[in-house]
Amino acid sequence: MEFIGEIWNLIAMQPMINTLIVLTSYLFNNFGVAIIVLTLAVNGVMFPLTMKQVRASKAMQDLQPKIAELQKKYAKEKDKLAREQMRLFKESGVSPAGCLLPLVVQMPIWIALFQSIMRVLAVIPENLVGLSGFLYSWPIVYTTLPLENHFLWLNLATGDIFLALLVGGTMWVQQKMVMAPATDPGKQSQSTMMLWMMPIMFAWLTMTFPSGLAIFWVTSNVFRIGMQYFIGGWGGLVKSEPKKPAGRDKKYKERIAQVEEFPSLGADIVVPSSTQEEGSSDEESGDKRPDHGGGYTKSLRATRRQPRKGRSHRRKRG
Amino acid sequence: MRIRNNTVVIGKVSLLVVLLLVGLTVLGCIGTKTSPEGGSGGVVADGTLFLAPSVKQAGGFGCTPAAVDSKLVALSAANGTRFWEIPLEGKRSSGGFGCSQSSTPAAIYGSPAVAGSLVYVGGYNGKIYAINIDSGAVRWVYPREGSLEPIVGGVTLALDRVYFGDADGKVYALDAETGDKQWEVPLGDKIWATPAVSGETLYIGCFDKKLYALSAIDGTKQWEYLVEGAIVSTPLVYNDTVYIGSFDRNFYALDAASGHLKWQFPAEKWFWTKAVAYNGTIYAGCFDGKVYALGAENGQELAAVDLGSVIYSWPVLVDGRVIVATEKGEIYAIDAANNQETLLADIGEAVYAPLCAGDGVIYIYSQEQNLYALNIDSGANLWNLTIK
Repeated sequence: MEFIGEIWNLIAMQPMINTLIVLTSYLFNNFGVAIIVLTLAVNGVMFPLTMKQVRASKAMQDLQPKIAELQKKYAKEKDKLAREQMRLFKESGVSPAGCLLPLVVQMPIWIALFQSIMRVLAVIPENLVGLSGFLYSWPIVYTTLPLENHFLWLNLATGDIFLALLVGGTMWVQQKMVMAPATDPGKQSQSTMMLWMMPIMFAWLTMTFPSGLAIFWVTSNVFRIGMQYFIGGWGGLVKSEPKKPAGRDKKYKERIAQVEEFPSLGADIVVPSSTQEEGSSDEESGDKRPDHGGGYTKSLRATRRQPRKGRSHRRKRG
Repeated sequence: MRIRNNTVVIGKVSLLVVLLLVGLTVLGCIGTKTSPEGGSGGVVADGTLFLAPSVKQAGGFGCTPAAVDSKLVALSAANGTRFWEIPLEGKRSSGGFGCSQSSTPAAIYGSPAVAGSLVYVGGYNGKIYAINIDSGAVRWVYPREGSLEPIVGGVTLALDRVYFGDADGKVYALDAETGDKQWEVPLGDKIWATPAVSGETLYIGCFDKKLYALSAIDGTKQWEYLVEGAIVSTPLVYNDTVYIGSFDRNFYALDAASGHLKWQFPAEKWFWTKAVAYNGTIYAGCFDGKVYALGAENGQELAAVDLGSVIYSWPVLVDGRVIVATEKGEIYAIDAANNQETLLADIGEAVYAPLCAGDGVIYIYSQEQNLYALNIDSGANLWNLTIK
C-alpha cells in the first residue's frame, strides 16, 4: 500500500504540485489565478476524452425513449431485454462503455489536482512540512513558497458562502443541461432528486473545504457547461429547440433517427441471421413477428459502413 | 447471457467508479490536515516541566482529528507526576464534517517560557497567556478581549517583556508583569518565527523573505536583510553574528550590528529549526535530513551528519553534545569534538516539538502525544506518559 502511495506521489502528485507552484510564480504570485489556469489546462488536455464521454452520454439520452419501449415490451424477459438493448446500442453506434471509460481515465487526474490544491494551500505548519516532501529541487519552487492565500475577497484556506452558492448553482445548471427527460415517473423523481442533491451536497462541502477547491470546482463546472452548450445547446435547461448537432453528434443522431424510422422495436427489426443463439432465443420468446433475418435495413447498414468522403483508406478496385 | 453479464458488469463498474471518487475525495481530505495539531516542546524550571499539549477532538467522515483545544501542564521533571493543568481554549463556531477548520484551535507550537513566577505561552488561537507557575492560575491574557491572528512561533522573554510575532504580520512587545502592550510593529507578511533578543535588539524572520532587526525597546527598525525564501526559523545570535536559515535552502551569517552578509551556505532543502553554536561551530539542522557543522567565522562545512529524515524539532546543546530529533523519531547525539553521531533512542513517533533538557534528562514530546524522559548519556527511557 505504501508502495502504491509512493508511485501515486511520484507520477501524479509531484508533477501537479510543482506545476501549481511554478504557475503561481509566473502568474504574479496569485494562487487563485494559478488554480483557474491549471484547471482549464487540465480540462483542455482532457478535452477529447471529455468530449467523447459527453457525446456518448448525449447519444445514450437520445436512445432513452427506445430503451423505455424495450423495457416495457420485454418486462418479463430479462435476457431478451438485455440482448435487445445491446443490439440497439450496437446498431445505433452507441456504447455504454463510451460514457464510462473516459471517466475512469480522467478520474485519477482530477483526484491528483484536487489533492494538490489541498496540499499546496498549506496553511498550517504541519501541511507546509508535508509539502516539502513533494517539491522538486527547482529554485523557483523553493522561493515561491509559502503561497499567498488571498485572491479577490477570498481567503483560499477557508470556506466562502458565495463560492458555495456558485458551486451549487453551476453544478445544477450543468446537471440540468444533461438530464434526460424520463418517461417513467419513478425515474423522473430519482433524476429530480439527483439534480438537487448533488449541488446541495457540493455547496455544503464547499462551505467546509478551503475555497481554493471551490475555485477548482466552479472553473470545471463552467468549462463543462460551455462544452455541453457547444455539443447540444442548453439541453434540458430550456424548453426551446435543442442546438443543431454537428460532426460526430450528427452521426449519432442520424443512426438513432434511422433506428426510430422503424414502426416497432425488438426482434422484428434487429435480428442478425448470423447468430445461432439469437435465433433460438427468438423462438423461446414466442415472438411470432416475421424475422427479416438481416438486422437493420440495408439503408442503415449502408449508413454505418459508409466511409467518409475523401478519407477512405480502402483502395478502389480496378 | 453474455450480453446480460456485460450490462451487469457495466453497472458494477459505474458503482465502483462512484465509490472510488467518494473514497479518494475523502482520502484527499485525510492526506492534508486542515486543523493544526501543535507541536509544543517543554521547558524545565526548578524541577518542574511545563508542557502545552493539544487536546484533540475527533472529526467526522474519517478526516483528520481536529485539535480544538490545548492546555498547559506542570509536571515533576523527575517522574512525570502532574502538579496542575489549565485549559487554553480556542474560539468555537459551528462547522461541518470535521474536515474543515470550524473553530480557531488553541494548538501550541512554541515552547512555554518561564521568568520569575510566571510561565508564558502563545497559541494558535491568537492569545498569549501568563500563568502562575505554582498554582496554575492565569495572571493575564493578551488580548483581553478577542484574539489576534494565529501565533505559530513561541514567545521570547527579555528586558521584562514578552516578545512574539503573529500571523497578522506584526511583532508585539508586552509588559511581562501586566500584559500591557508596549509596542507593535507591522512587517511585510505573516510571521511564524520565534524572535531572538540580544542586548537591546530583536531579530525576527518573516514570510516576506526578510530578516528584521528591531529595537527591543521601542520597535524601531534597525536593519533588514532580504533573502530569496520565507524565514520561519529562529535566529541564533552568537559572537556578534546572526545566523538564520531560509526556505531558499541557504543558511546565512549576518553582522548583528549592520545586517551585512558575512557568508551563506547552500543546502538541499529548507531550514526550519533553530541552529545551536558550540566552540566556534554552528550546527544547523535541515529538511534534507542533515545537520551541518559550519565554521562560525567563514561558513566552511566541517561536517554534514546525515540523520536520514527531516529535522524540524529544535535541538539542544548539552555538555558539548548536540541532541537532535528527526521526524521519524530517532534521537541522536552529535559529539561536538569530532562531529560523530550516536543514536540515543528511537521512539518511532514523529517529533516536531523542540527538545528540552535539564539535570541529565532530555524531554521529548511526540506528535502521538507521548512524553519521553531519556537519560542524556545512555538514551535509556527513564519514564514516559501519554499527555492529551
